[in-house]
Amino acid sequence: MRRLSAAVSLVLLSLLAVAVAQASLVALILLFSAVLKLNLTIELGLHYLHLSLPAAPYRPEVAVYNAGSIASVVFTAAGGAVAATWKFRRWRAPR
Amino acid sequence: MKGLLRLYPRWWRERYGREMEVLVDELPSRTGVALDLLLGAAMAYAFVIRENRILSAAGAYLHGVCVAVLLQAIGFVLLILYSERWPGGVNTDVALGPFHFAAVMWPIDFFGPRSLTQAQVTRWLPLDWLPAIGLLVVLVATLVVVMTAPRLLRTSR
Repeated sequence: MRRLSAAVSLVLLSLLAVAVAQASLVALILLFSAVLKLNLTIELGLHYLHLSLPAAPYRPEVAVYNAGSIASVVFTAAGGAVAATWKFRRWRAPR
Repeated sequence: MKGLLRLYPRWWRERYGREMEVLVDELPSRTGVALDLLLGAAMAYAFVIRENRILSAAGAYLHGVCVAVLLQAIGFVLLILYSERWPGGVNTDVALGPFHFAAVMWPIDFFGPRSLTQAQVTRWLPLDWLPAIGLLVVLVATLVVVMTAPRLLRTSR
């Protein structure tokens, strides 16, 4: 039972870390869109999150599609998992 | 200032707490001292994490997540720069087979201010690139700091 609850805690904490990381990434992209004067569209399922800049009509529109959003989450989680696995295997008790 | 000592791990407080309280009482209450205490607390926790395999792996997980976020931010800025490689911009699509991940679409500028001469001048004076290049430099510098932070923490003991 202890192992099961530890495993569930591990999964929930890792999901929380990925959620916070993705929220930071979205905030960074919003900031970059403001700095670079871009019109930004993020597709989330059947919805679009759209940030437009009417004062700069000749600026490009950047669109992130569903596949891109999913790939981003998978990449972030995979990055953490690879680093954790590598550290877990290479860990040696300090002298 | 003594309140900052509560940030240290329990084993550290039991071992060095009293001596540290006497020392903190003698030191002036300055920002530098507070920063030293905070850094000391971080080093003490880093020691605890290094001693434990699971905690080390958890720390590495968070580190890997941060690196992944920075790499994606760098990729975003590089995509914008790549689409700006020609005056007026080039529509760029990031796709793998049937999956489209992202795209940059430039408006068609029928009555834009750029003449052929202006377009040629812009090619040699890419001022539009400067904000993106500035962001890229900041992101790459941050990535270098994040990647080298564990080694710096280990060698600063």
